[in-house]
Amino acid sequence: MLRRKMRSLIVLLVILVLTGTLGAYAQTGKVTFMSTQFNTVEESDKARAILADFGEVDFVPSEEGPMIDLLKAEAQAGSGTVDLVGALHGTFPVLAQEDVLFDLSDLLAEIQAEYELPEAFVELGKLGTEDYQYYIPWMQATYIMAAHKDALQYLPEGADLNALTWEQLAAWAKNIYDATGEAKLGLPVAGLFHRFLEGYLYPSFTGGMVTGFKSAEAAAMWEWFKTDLWPYVHPQSIAYEFMQEPLLAGEVLVAFDHTARLINAFNERPEDFVGFPAPAGPAGRGFMPVVVGLGIPFTAPNPDGAEALLKYMLSPETQARVLKDLAFFPVVGGVDTSGLSAGVAIEAGAVAAQANSPDALPALLPVGLGARGGEINEIYRNAFSRIVLNGEDIQTVLDQEGANLQKLLDETGAPCWPPDAPSEGACQLK
Amino acid sequence: MQRLRLGLAPYLLILPSFIYLAVFFAWPMGRSLQLAFVRDSQILPVLSEPQEDADVVGRLPMQIEVAVVDRLKTEELLPNGRTRPVYWFKVVGEAENGDTIEGWVHQKNLFIKSRTESDTARVVSGEGAKEWTLDYIERMVNDYRFQEALKTTLLLIVLILPIQFVLAITMALVLQSRLRGNTLFLYIYAIPLGISDLAAGLVWVTIFTQRGYLNTFLQQLGLIDQPYIFLSADRQHWMIVAIVLAEVWRATSIVMVIVVSGLQAIPHEYLEAGELFGANLWQRLRHIILPLLKPSLQVALILRTILAFQVFAVVVAITGGRVLTVLAYETYRWYDPGDSGFNNPNMAAAYAGFIMLISLAFALVYLRTVRTQEEAARE
Repeated sequence: MLRRKMRSLIVLLVILVLTGTLGAYAQTGKVTFMSTQFNTVEESDKARAILADFGEVDFVPSEEGPMIDLLKAEAQAGSGTVDLVGALHGTFPVLAQEDVLFDLSDLLAEIQAEYELPEAFVELGKLGTEDYQYYIPWMQATYIMAAHKDALQYLPEGADLNALTWEQLAAWAKNIYDATGEAKLGLPVAGLFHRFLEGYLYPSFTGGMVTGFKSAEAAAMWEWFKTDLWPYVHPQSIAYEFMQEPLLAGEVLVAFDHTARLINAFNERPEDFVGFPAPAGPAGRGFMPVVVGLGIPFTAPNPDGAEALLKYMLSPETQARVLKDLAFFPVVGGVDTSGLSAGVAIEAGAVAAQANSPDALPALLPVGLGARGGEINEIYRNAFSRIVLNGEDIQTVLDQEGANLQKLLDETGAPCWPPDAPSEGACQLK
Repeated sequence: MQRLRLGLAPYLLILPSFIYLAVFFAWPMGRSLQLAFVRDSQILPVLSEPQEDADVVGRLPMQIEVAVVDRLKTEELLPNGRTRPVYWFKVVGEAENGDTIEGWVHQKNLFIKSRTESDTARVVSGEGAKEWTLDYIERMVNDYRFQEALKTTLLLIVLILPIQFVLAITMALVLQSRLRGNTLFLYIYAIPLGISDLAAGLVWVTIFTQRGYLNTFLQQLGLIDQPYIFLSADRQHWMIVAIVLAEVWRATSIVMVIVVSGLQAIPHEYLEAGELFGANLWQRLRHIILPLLKPSLQVALILRTILAFQVFAVVVAITGGRVLTVLAYETYRWYDPGDSGFNNPNMAAAYAGFIMLISLAFALVYLRTVRTQEEAARE
């Protein structure tokens, strides 16, 4: 009898929770923070610990797709539950097209009065407009190089680890191959390899990501990649998603990847690994910052709380804690970087050296492709597969895939984005 | 009277299964095929007044530049106490037929650099309109991965099917031979029937991977010093070998089951008569068993070919889908809304339609070429 009662009580509770009746009793001070970042259990716990010092925050980690669907549904219903949205830059164009986000220009001015924010990231947050701040940059990550200290003895003569060129990287990989008999340079071809092509190789060799896609410089770059670099890249690279495991296992000695996908190697054996900037080419040191932003939906039940939390997230103290515990890099100036774990300190050094190098050429993510952002990655990957893996004629491949790229740009009307020069109307290939 | 009732009854009996097939197969199939040929285009209605319910004065196509000649700012009070500025823009633009259209549109339909100052804008959304298109088909056929996928899929069929049929017929003959312990063979042969294709793929990955069973085995035999990397981009033939082995191991028993039932339907008298006239095993197989097996072989062939066009999980498990790709994997990639997919159901539908078409074509070819003698004689 008692068990029966218990069971009906539980059923009643479940119904109450599902219909939101309980939620209505929540205190007004509570802020609901939905984020596509930190959605593993371990990361969520660390994020909650940081948020607990702000006040009552309900941290809801989510995948990108469900978050977009939820915000769209809330906008249509006219009332919502989410106060603050944290997501990668690439998520925001979709939200902007649905017109669900407040203009945060005034809030940004308040924050900028106190701390310094990188102008390029603030511009990104406007999504191509001039006076509508869809998001405020929150934190950043990027891609860097990592090497086992055993590999340093094979560095070509006169090479400076913090100012490598692509030629030197190839020579280094060849030296390692000659000495050990194995190709020990690793690239995450099954992972975020498209960013390597879009944000690192192309800008370094052609000065842009898109406009020089099928240029003579690009053809020379592919020729170099195929004959001078790829023979010394570990053959299992095609199956690597994260480079930290092959580094730790000793399968590769030098690798390129996202900071979050190298951090375990640096954290577990900081004395064995060094981090350093990506190499430079004839046009500069291309690199791709990954920007995570914060936005506030129109349907936020507690917009004041959301603004206060957003300010809290951008304070140097919080940014320092996020860097220390979650290995995402700050966007505001004046962040205290002492007391970092050894791994994060290595990465922080490499990230700073990369961004502050004299020939730095930041390559940003596309703004205007909207929901078709995945297709541009495939075009770069296809060019790689066809030229390097299948050995097809370089110019033929570049012309064909370039036509696909132009079609995508025309259909979405996307104007050129940095490092390519700005364009009126859809971006045009040279 | 009697005839009439008989005439209706069979149709009534068929009706439930017919409805079932129509609702759960034909209808969704038609809808998905339609997806491959229909584009959700949009067109922007331009209004006479800055209100939702005003008259439509004309329609503008997507992605064109329009001039902004006037603007109206209103404020909407939100439930959270804030206000939301809502802009209406009076625009001038050229419709598809060349007419100049002037009227009001809502901010959400335009991309405008500055809501307060810009004097031009781009049309980015509107109301849905469907139009027929061959774009998706054209894009699929011109896609480099499509040709790769088609090549690999056909190659796998050419390699796998003959091996499977020879093996399956041999296995079925062993089962039929009434050797001692042939039920044990049946159980062993039937084990892969219960294994999912993804699991089968993973089993073969653990065999072929760098530190897998095969390398360990070869090292213990002293044949190699270092692990040989079978599954890499420049050794695609090894990937094909691994896929063929996995598929043969996994899907031969289904062919065997069909062949066994076909064998059991062959009357013993025929074989005994053959034996009586001194036919050896090969002659009996060639002139009695195989001709009589034709109908079951036809069924098995059609079934196996259709399934081979849908091969997916084994390939993904062994190759990761990046280096070698097959038609079904491409279909999935276009559909997949996640990080590695393109969230494009129209392209996925084009692929699915192509797989259906090519399966149908093969089935028809089989039905015509592997005919039984009676069928051939009837014509």
